[in-house]
Amino acid sequence: MKDDFEPTVVAFLCNWCSYAGADLAGTSRLKYPENVRSIRVMCSGRVDPVFILEALNEGIDGVLVAGCHPGDCHYQSGNYKTNRKMILLKKLLTDFNVDSDRVRFEYISASEGQKFADVVTDFVGTLKELGPSPLK
Amino acid sequence: MESLRGVKMIYELKVEEDAPMTVNNFLKELLTEGEVDAVIAMTETPSGKSAFPTMISHPEKLSTNVFAPLLPVSTGTVVSKVTKVKPPKKTLAVVLRSCELRALTELVKLNQADLENIILIGVDCSGTLSMDTYQGQDQDITEAVLKNESEDDLRTACLNCKDPVPKNADLVIGTFGADTDKNLFLDAKTEKGAEIVSALGMDESEGEEVREKAVQDIRDEKEENRKAFIQERSEIEGPDKLLEFFDTCVNCHNCMKVCPVCYCNECIFESSIFDLEGDKYMKKVEGKGAYKTPTDSLLFQLTRFNHMMLSCVGCGLCEQACPSDIPLMDVITGLADNAQELFEYEPGDDPEEELPLVVYREEEFEDVEER
Repeated sequence: MKDDFEPTVVAFLCNWCSYAGADLAGTSRLKYPENVRSIRVMCSGRVDPVFILEALNEGIDGVLVAGCHPGDCHYQSGNYKTNRKMILLKKLLTDFNVDSDRVRFEYISASEGQKFADVVTDFVGTLKELGPSPLK
Repeated sequence: MESLRGVKMIYELKVEEDAPMTVNNFLKELLTEGEVDAVIAMTETPSGKSAFPTMISHPEKLSTNVFAPLLPVSTGTVVSKVTKVKPPKKTLAVVLRSCELRALTELVKLNQADLENIILIGVDCSGTLSMDTYQGQDQDITEAVLKNESEDDLRTACLNCKDPVPKNADLVIGTFGADTDKNLFLDAKTEKGAEIVSALGMDESEGEEVREKAVQDIRDEKEENRKAFIQERSEIEGPDKLLEFFDTCVNCHNCMKVCPVCYCNECIFESSIFDLEGDKYMKKVEGKGAYKTPTDSLLFQLTRFNHMMLSCVGCGLCEQACPSDIPLMDVITGLADNAQELFEYEPGDDPEEELPLVVYREEEFEDVEER
């Protein structure tokens, strides 16, 4: 039955890099799984951990947060701070034995349409392995 | 705050009647000599059933008991309240236990307290009791706790205290290493503190070494307790156990309200953001089949942990405030230690060190990018 499982992914994409990257994936006709629901945020730093916890609590199987590469943040340091926040959140999830692989943080630039497609494909693969969210 | 690290000035307070009275007299002297204009210190309530941090400006109204073994509210929160909008122009001395000082240091970093014109007087803490235990005891409970005779009654948080010796105070009233029937230590830690002591003309203490050893011993003991405690608590295995742990939560948010480092001025869970249309609830119950209401208690707890665990000072007020008696410290103690270790951050330790989530280093945690 595991093969039939189609995970739902919420992706928070930063306006300046990752959202444009996702856009490029689309305009380049790159294929990636349709499981992902993109939400544009002005900066990955805007993503409060409560958004992610709420998504998981509401039955979303995985949350992807993507921001600019180190040094490229439109607001100087938003992506670095997100990195720290994500590490803290993953630690919390691990401590409660919730698989922290359900949360993923990636640096995706505006020119990396291919990386966006790859990340989503890989992430959906991981989530299929993990099965439906136990918080569902 | 100018620090006098390396410079040690340790004085002696001779115990007259008993330890609380001695400190009360010392505070009285601060007021009458004009060193300070008001103090905030633990004072027993008229009923004798409780004790609260109390603000006092008239020397004759001083009837403090800074050793009252109770923590009804964190004095760190009180100082935040008094100084957040604008610190007072006159001088205010505040007596705090170590966990309250740690909380205050965190609040200063969060721009929620300002120490201008505030004199911090730390007091060695032998632990505090639950509200119920305190109310059921007679008057001598202060002395019993001071002399370590009531160790079994201490709150979980106090048994596993991070550090019972105050840090970042101007003056420290020391009981560790002292025979509290005869003398107390008065340790000047900053220039501000030293000025006050010299203005009052106190005797230097001979017992410096004794105190240092006693302080080290109690720190070692607490660290051992804490480690054993964390190991003893079985991990919460997976979401089912997590739900089970919190299944008596009534979603009252008391833990958030009493927490000195729960820093949001307006909690997102007190807003209407999680109020959804009926259809959304119907859709949700379709997916899960059944769920306990109110629906967001687990989400609230997880978000709260995520917000405060790096700054958790281990005061245990959350556990004390829980109407359902959820043993929150069983979870938080290990959780906070793990998170703080990850960022090599010790809350309340160094006022100059910035909070981990507001700083970044260009080179760190690189594995995230590689994965």
